[in-house]
Amino acid sequence: MSRFKNCMVTALLSCGFSPLGAQPAGLDLKIFGYFQVTFGYRKDIGRPVQVKSFSLQQLNLFLQKDLTPNWTAFVNFEFVNSYSSFRNWGAQNLEEAWVSYRRSEQFKLKLGLQVPAFNNLNEIKNKTPLLPYIIRPLAYESSFNEIIALEEFTPTQAFAQAYGFISAGKLKFDYAMFVGNSPNINDDFRRGQTGVDTTKYFLMGGRFGIRTNNLKLGISSTIDRVDFYHVAVFLGYDLAKFNRVPRLRLGGDFSLNAGKWLWESEAIRVTYDDDHPLLNLDKEFYYGTLGHQLTERFFVYAGYWVLRENALPVRDIDLVALTAGAAYNINETISAKAQYGRVRSESSISPTEAERANYYFLAISVVF
Amino acid sequence: MAFAQVAIIAHKAAPEDTLSHAQLLDFYSCEIKTWRNKIPVVVFDLKPVSEIREAFYKLLGKTPSRMKSIWLKKLLMGESNPPLALESEEEVLKKVAATRGAIGFVGKTKVTGDVKIIMVIEKKEK
Repeated sequence: MSRFKNCMVTALLSCGFSPLGAQPAGLDLKIFGYFQVTFGYRKDIGRPVQVKSFSLQQLNLFLQKDLTPNWTAFVNFEFVNSYSSFRNWGAQNLEEAWVSYRRSEQFKLKLGLQVPAFNNLNEIKNKTPLLPYIIRPLAYESSFNEIIALEEFTPTQAFAQAYGFISAGKLKFDYAMFVGNSPNINDDFRRGQTGVDTTKYFLMGGRFGIRTNNLKLGISSTIDRVDFYHVAVFLGYDLAKFNRVPRLRLGGDFSLNAGKWLWESEAIRVTYDDDHPLLNLDKEFYYGTLGHQLTERFFVYAGYWVLRENALPVRDIDLVALTAGAAYNINETISAKAQYGRVRSESSISPTEAERANYYFLAISVVF
Repeated sequence: MAFAQVAIIAHKAAPEDTLSHAQLLDFYSCEIKTWRNKIPVVVFDLKPVSEIREAFYKLLGKTPSRMKSIWLKKLLMGESNPPLALESEEEVLKKVAATRGAIGFVGKTKVTGDVKIIMVIEKKEK
């Protein structure tokens, strides 16, 4: 037993604990991560609903090792919503496990489970220290997963991606092209979900963009095929027509940094080639955030977010959020955040009764 | 108020004798990770807040907090590690002189023959 302990201690000591450490001095295993603790309060307008709760919103643990100067392995474990298997709370997820090859800035290759490049936020949506938000723009907010089909708006997984940029003076032309599983690993209700793609289809997509020192814009797209078996059964439609319906996601992003001002915006449109006159499953999402760096440590912002999710003729849902918040860097690794959001949701199920709620959040974000 | 001239210095074996402003920013923001001869770029930062550091960040066109968020993004994306922030200009000189592919910044008066000057930020009056 003591020998085992010694081995463990030796193994841990030989790892590099590297928070905001430094450029590599060798090829050590680096362990780092972050977490965000929140307090949220929600008050519905016109209804006696109040919810308040503390939460360990997210904890991510990274393992990284430079295998050679050109090859890097990276693993990202994610725990959300005060994860506890003992109490059946929250969830844990192997978010990323990939190896990357860097031939040059023009060509890099990432192989393994990864979050692909799509618009501005997709790759970093769960990297809370990079975001001033506590509640993220709606299509990226995992805590809305129960009311919004988040995975339909953006690609969440890919398994191979080629990416890089080409410089031309002050301009940089970014590209990323990726491939992954068809979504049947999630949406095939006729079979048990195993994470295995049992179709002949792939998810394919990419992003092309231009950036300068202060400006970034790009277009993104994915194509894949979705199984609407459950929709067809529910509506009594022809099952064959809703088997592997082509889905196209189109996105655009625009960010501008002008002095102490920052503008970020995105648009996403999801369309389904279901070829049925009565059915409309298309989705849209837009957001714009204007931020201002008040001091070196203090950032404030305001945003307007719109999400439309159709599932007609059954129902559709419109969510509109006005939000404002602030982030204060206490030091290099700890920041405090506050956010207010006023969310209005309207559903075709009860079109006369829009639901409105005020959200108030406080959070501490820590990188270690 | 005046500030001292800042020298951007590199290891003596660095393949470039000068760098453009854009190249310097690419190195410091970890966009480009190798020199022309494929030797890895090793970037050093200066920890204490000083006129030297302020002038350098001004040259990059980024505030220290903006640079930190760029480095944090690279770190959390698994792309690269932030530069090592050293405690003094003397330490930067020593490290740059001793590390192949290294680049850093110090006051021009501190520069010795052990490193190569690849850019000088001219003295300015505020």
